[in-house]
Amino acid sequence: MQVNRLSHGGRINRARALSFTFNGRKYQGFEGDTLASALIANGVSLTARSFKYHRPRGIVGAGVEEPSTLVELMGNDASANRPVTTVPLKEGLIAKSVNCWPSPAVDIGAVNQLFARFIPAGFYYKTFKWPNWHVYEPSIRKATGLAGTPQEAPDQGHFEARYAHCDVLIAGAGPAGLLAALTVGRAGLRVMIADEGTEAGGSLLSRKLVIDGQPAMDWVAATVAELHDMPNVKHLQNATIWAYREHNYLMVNERAPENASLLERHWRVRAGHVITATGAIERGMVFGNNDRPGVMLASAVQTYVNRYGARPGKRAMIFTNNNSAYAVAADLAAAGIEIVAIVDSRDDVPEVARAVVPDLEVVAGSVVTQAQGLRRVRGVSVVPRSGGVSRTYSCDLLAHSGGWNPAVHLFSQSRSPLIYAEGPATFVPDTPAQSVSACGAAEGQFELSAALHSGAETAAELCEGPALTPPEGEDLAYAIEPLWRVEQATGKAFLDLQNDVSVDDVHLAIREGYANVEHVKRYTTGGMGIDQGKTGNINIIGTVALHQGIGMDEVGTTTFRAPYTPVSFGAIGGFRDESVVLPYRHTPLTKWNMDQGAFMYEAGARWRRPGYFPHPGEGLQEATNRECEAVRNGVGVYDGSPLGTFELKGRDVGKFLDYLYTNIMSSLKPGFGRYGLMLSDDGLILDDGVCLRLDEHRWIISTSTGHADAMNSHMEELLQTEFPDWNVFVTTVTSQWNNATICGPKARDVMVELGTDIDLSPEAFPFMTFRDGHVAGLPARVVRVSFTGELSFEVNVAPRHLRALWDKVLDAGSPHGILPVGSEASHVLRVEKGFLSLGHEVDGTVDPFDLGMGWVMSKKKADYLGKRSVHLRRDGPGVRRELVGVIPDPDRMIPEGAPLTPRGEKRPTEGFVTACVWSVVHKRWVGLALLENGHARHGETAQVRLKGGELIPVRVTPPVHYDPDGEKLRT
Amino acid sequence: MPYEATFDRLATQALFDLKGPARQLRDWVGELLPEFPEQANSGTMTGGKALYYIGLDHWLLRAELPEEQALIAELRPADAPPDISIVQISDTQAYFRITGSQADEVLAIGCPMNLHAREFGTGAASFTEFFGLRALVTRCDSGFDVAVEQSFGPMIEDYLNRALR
Repeated sequence: MQVNRLSHGGRINRARALSFTFNGRKYQGFEGDTLASALIANGVSLTARSFKYHRPRGIVGAGVEEPSTLVELMGNDASANRPVTTVPLKEGLIAKSVNCWPSPAVDIGAVNQLFARFIPAGFYYKTFKWPNWHVYEPSIRKATGLAGTPQEAPDQGHFEARYAHCDVLIAGAGPAGLLAALTVGRAGLRVMIADEGTEAGGSLLSRKLVIDGQPAMDWVAATVAELHDMPNVKHLQNATIWAYREHNYLMVNERAPENASLLERHWRVRAGHVITATGAIERGMVFGNNDRPGVMLASAVQTYVNRYGARPGKRAMIFTNNNSAYAVAADLAAAGIEIVAIVDSRDDVPEVARAVVPDLEVVAGSVVTQAQGLRRVRGVSVVPRSGGVSRTYSCDLLAHSGGWNPAVHLFSQSRSPLIYAEGPATFVPDTPAQSVSACGAAEGQFELSAALHSGAETAAELCEGPALTPPEGEDLAYAIEPLWRVEQATGKAFLDLQNDVSVDDVHLAIREGYANVEHVKRYTTGGMGIDQGKTGNINIIGTVALHQGIGMDEVGTTTFRAPYTPVSFGAIGGFRDESVVLPYRHTPLTKWNMDQGAFMYEAGARWRRPGYFPHPGEGLQEATNRECEAVRNGVGVYDGSPLGTFELKGRDVGKFLDYLYTNIMSSLKPGFGRYGLMLSDDGLILDDGVCLRLDEHRWIISTSTGHADAMNSHMEELLQTEFPDWNVFVTTVTSQWNNATICGPKARDVMVELGTDIDLSPEAFPFMTFRDGHVAGLPARVVRVSFTGELSFEVNVAPRHLRALWDKVLDAGSPHGILPVGSEASHVLRVEKGFLSLGHEVDGTVDPFDLGMGWVMSKKKADYLGKRSVHLRRDGPGVRRELVGVIPDPDRMIPEGAPLTPRGEKRPTEGFVTACVWSVVHKRWVGLALLENGHARHGETAQVRLKGGELIPVRVTPPVHYDPDGEKLRT
Repeated sequence: MPYEATFDRLATQALFDLKGPARQLRDWVGELLPEFPEQANSGTMTGGKALYYIGLDHWLLRAELPEEQALIAELRPADAPPDISIVQISDTQAYFRITGSQADEVLAIGCPMNLHAREFGTGAASFTEFFGLRALVTRCDSGFDVAVEQSFGPMIEDYLNRALR
């Protein structure tokens, strides 16, 4: 039973009833309702508890300004901390109040009210300091609990994030915004208009106004229709512009896109110009117990009556300092709500205001000092401002208006300053810092006609030709005498209802030295959170001004921050979910690998690579051992495609490579290759790889997989900043050359079996050379390099041929027992050989000498990148950590990264284990480590100290555990 | 209502990365190529070959794959003088064609560039970002071609399928 639903009126569809559940009870509303209007229609007035004191709260506003009632939506609509006024009603909606347990009516946390005087602003900062805040944090968060984020994504639908561009972006589809859109739309500019409401009209939706002699909403409908027909205009409703960044880059959250599968759409808009036609937000009056359920903003009451046909009370008092509340009173009276009286703090109430409600009692020059009642307002105490006897009025609704604040949030986010205007007694936009302008109520033009003119004129400045002649709107003249707080207030008088910040809190902050308004904000939390100063800020500023005896302009405003209203994380993330939550790269063999049941993971630079190929019943170790055995004793093949590959061309490539690498590359003959190290400016190893010389001016270099992009940038930076005159062109060809690397003692047999026009004999095709030719009938470049320590042929082909080559290799290798080899086996094989790996032995702290690779530091070259730094460091007294082999004794695995400490004592480490693998050659665990003065300690026993103090003795050895002379790879 | 657009992953395109001053490149390739575009981020087309101006002294030649061998023979990358660089990069790019009346809306999900016909009209070609990746976007009949590094092809396919749900 919708006990407070008016018999007629409102922009709701009474033919479509909707069932919903709130705090476990079932109710009904209508299509077009918000959850707030439906609750009001059902007579639910106690809807929340306050953030800190757990005071009973009701619905205060009707839009994004709602400071009191936040709800958590459940089920597929799961969403936390939504202002109840911004939740469109839908069939089956389930919602509950936040910040109360078990319910708003019976809330355990309400006990806080007993201790309210002991927990003022700043209480947390002063109290919960020892041993540290985090000890108390969980229980405090729970006690002041807002709802948590949903644990699971919605069952259906998805989010989308996208970009957009326009000449003019208009925030708000109220009268000023619509007329601005019409103006620039007719001028042919690309226009985007975004409005947070479910339908266009802004304040006109809540008021009974007339434009050009017709109901204002008729003008809205005609304007929207004309905009709809313009191909250059994009009009979004349910779309909030929630952030304004640099270079006119704005964020829009669209909550009900036309695509039914979309939950929300996030727009990142780059606009040539922005017009903020964001309207205005009513501020409340500050008096005792101004937070009781039934104490509402006057404009919100008007909205519920006019737009939703819902009656927030039966017997209303009005408290105001400005004219707008008189129009509200008139609308309420017309709807059959008894108006007890209008309390106006002004001594002289303008006649134009009185004329709107000639039959109502106006108590001029008086203020409400306190709202009476606990869970619902039952009456108000009123006294003359000049002093005198308090009078009590019985009522169940208090509609109050402290005036209007332009919604300057976006304008302020653009870093444009605000200025205090005495006339409307509020802060209004000042000089734009970006290409932005404000119009309508957002500019401080609170009367309809002025707002329309403002919209037309602001837009006309962006167009050529004269401005549109705006239609005439009829509205009550706006006049105000500011009242920042009722000085005679009794009881807690709240400035910021959302954060439970009272007048006393602000006074306390100032007494404690936090006099600047930014400090007041941080001390009290006033204006923080999702409120962002929508209702409370200016009253806080006014309270500070009064307390310090200075002007509003001297106090100034705090910074308005994004988001203007809460935004779903999902909308910001867009598609980045599930399989595309992180980027991934495939080679032409990725699908084959997965089809074979390979265990896949990312192995640098987003490449998905096979870790190992388990047979049924095998784990990682068994499969890895099997693959290693194949390479050491027979033959294996791996996909080496992700290795970074670059073609360098030009007269100065040799000179450039000599600078880039520590050793000499320019002396290479065509057809030959050389391994090298690259250093950073500070002489630490940056990357390693092989250079191949194709001809006099063309080279191919390889880099590690993970550093390919970084090395490309590194080379380009050097060429563009250090050597702009050098003739060197760099082209990335990583994905032009994929390779299958055949490795093992029987690799040559497999190559022969494949068929090739290349002479494979060691004499004709030695180690560190390459040949172009055909392999298995495919054009190929074969390189004799080895990353396993075995005879290897790296067969490079175009990716379009890799899958065919792979199949042929497996066929040709089948008689030799060839196996595909994953990254795990490759890791074991390189550890046995003592080959370095970026991220293991090369961790950003080592130079070539540390790794026993001093031979790669050319003594012939006058200079190369990092040379000076290496020598400066090595000439110093510092002890270096050097690469050694380690043999655990007893034979057991050591975790990678395990620290080595002097004699195993609990002391600063002297190194760490970089890798430890089961060696198929030695049939035991072997490892590598970086150890202080390691090169001089071969034969010693060092101690690995695990977490908890367990010690593992390790024998220190040279780092090459297998084929130290490299005979096998040169076979 | 999902977007009115579809996408296809195109077969490998014949692609050549050309670097160096336009005059030297023109001297080397003669009449083989379309006119060198004079405006950056634009392209010219002749006889099924497109030439895009994609950076300072940097061009991209695109043709259908069957043309690849003929182009190699005529461009002679290995013999080109050191002042210019010609590198075959056909396999480095995965090409996607997105067409339909709302192709631009689909592009806008992944691409921050202003693709309105007034800003990015016929013949336009630009490197930009597509779903976080470096991508070359060009216009085609009733839509756009997007080229990304080949290894990211499956991921872009994944993204586009999501966009068109």
